[in-house]
Amino acid sequence: MTGSRHLQIVTPAREAQPQVRFCGHCGEPPAAEDVASRVCERCGLGLLLQADADAAPGHGEAFLVVDSSLTVCAVSQHAEHVLGVLEPDAVDRRVTEFLVPADVEGPGPEMLINEILNLGAGGGEPLRVVLRPTGDFGVRIFARLAACGPPRAALVILGDE
Amino acid sequence: MRTLKTSEAASLLNVSPNTLRAWERRFGYPKPQRSPGQHRLYTHGEVAALRDALQEGLSISSAVSRAREALSADTSVLAGALNAYELDRADGAMEAAIALRSVERSVEEVLLPSLNEMAARHGIDSAPWAFSARWARDWLLRAQRFAPPPTRSVAVLIGDANASELHPDALAMRAFELFCARAGARVMPLPVGGVSGLGDVLATFRPDAVVISGSHVADDDVARWAYAVRSSSGALPVALFRRGARGRTTGASVLPERPGDAHRHVLALVDSRFVRQYTPVDLPGEHEIAGSGRRRIGA
Repeated sequence: MTGSRHLQIVTPAREAQPQVRFCGHCGEPPAAEDVASRVCERCGLGLLLQADADAAPGHGEAFLVVDSSLTVCAVSQHAEHVLGVLEPDAVDRRVTEFLVPADVEGPGPEMLINEILNLGAGGGEPLRVVLRPTGDFGVRIFARLAACGPPRAALVILGDE
Repeated sequence: MRTLKTSEAASLLNVSPNTLRAWERRFGYPKPQRSPGQHRLYTHGEVAALRDALQEGLSISSAVSRAREALSADTSVLAGALNAYELDRADGAMEAAIALRSVERSVEEVLLPSLNEMAARHGIDSAPWAFSARWARDWLLRAQRFAPPPTRSVAVLIGDANASELHPDALAMRAFELFCARAGARVMPLPVGGVSGLGDVLATFRPDAVVISGSHVADDDVARWAYAVRSSSGALPVALFRRGARGRTTGASVLPERPGDAHRHVLALVDSRFVRQYTPVDLPGEHEIAGSGRRRIGA
C-alpha cells in the first residue's frame, strides 16, 4: 500500500427522478393512476409505459420506442405523422431505417446505436442528439434519448429543441 | 376449438369491446369469425396469445406481431413434418392448429402455406411435393367427411379443370369444396372432361351455381361441358376459380384466389340470385366463351 490518496473527478449521480406513466401511442398519462390494464384507456391503441418524469414525452410530442436489439417497438401517433409511417408498418424494423444522426462531422449511426443499446440495456443517461430521416438530407430533427419500460427500452423523443 | 364472444374476449384482455374492435380495424388482429347471426366470435387461442404478448410488449403492434409469430409456429411444424415425411406429426400439427383456429383458417393459414413452402422448396414435379400434396388431399377429404350435414338449400357444382389431383390448384379446389360443405352447402365436383350422363346427375343434384376450377383444360372443352350443364339445369351463375389467364368466359365471375374468399363469394352470388328472384348471370355456351361479347339471358 502506497498510502497516498488521489482525488478523482467523479460524475455526480443523477438524482433519482419520479417515474411517470404515459401511453406509447397517444403519449398521454393514464386516465386514472390505479388502472389495472396496461392498455391506454384514452386511445386504446397503446400500452402504458414508464419513464423518468423529466424524460417522458410531453403533450403532443412525437416519439419512438426502440428495444435493445434496435428494433422499433412503438411509434406514437405524432411520430407516425412526422416519419410518414404507420406503427404497424414500422414495428419489427431497425430504427436506422427511419432515423440516423444528422451531424456529418460527428460519429456515424454507431453513436445512435450505442446510445440506444445502453439505454435499452438499462444503462446510460438521457442525452440530446440531432437526427435526420434516413435518406433525407437537409432535415434536422432535434431529439432526446431516454430510458423507458417495462420491458426496458430506449425512448427517442423527436422535435425537442 | 373454443370461441369467445366480443365481451368475453375483451374481458380476457382487460379492455373494452370498442378497443377490441379498434384493434381489428387497425391491426387486423384478433380476427374474429362470424356467428350465423353475424356476431363476432374470437378464437380463444388467438386472444390468449395476444394476452400473453401484451404482458411483455412495448406496444399493441409489437404484441400483435409476437402473437402472430406464436400462431405461425404451426406452419413451421407442419412444413417440418412434411419435409421429414412424418405423417403422424403432420396430422398432429393440424390438430394443434385447429385447437387455436377454425378449420377454415387452419387450412388457409397453416395447411396451404406449408404446401406453398414445399412447392417452393422442391417444385411441384418432385416426390416430396407428391407426398405432401397426397397427405393434404387426404386430410381435406377427411375433414369434409366430418363436415356437418347440409343446412342450406344451396348446391354448388364444381367443374374440375385441373391437371391432376395433386396440382396446387386442385388442392385449393378441395379446400374450397370443404369450406362450402362446412358452410352448409351441397357440393359436387365433376371433371369437365366428361359430359356423358351429366344430365342424369344434374337432374338429381339440381345445382344453384357452377364453379369452374383449374386452368389445365382448354376453353373449348370447358365450354362444351358448360353447355351440357346449361342444357340440363338452365341458366345458372357461373364463377371461375383459379382459371388463370383462361378467364375469357363472358358472364362469369372471377373468384378470389383464396378458397375462403372464393366460397363466401359463391354463396353470396347464390343468395343474391335467390333474392333477385331469378335474374341470373348467363351460363355461357361454347361460342360465347370463345368470343368477347357480353350477353345476359334471363331465366
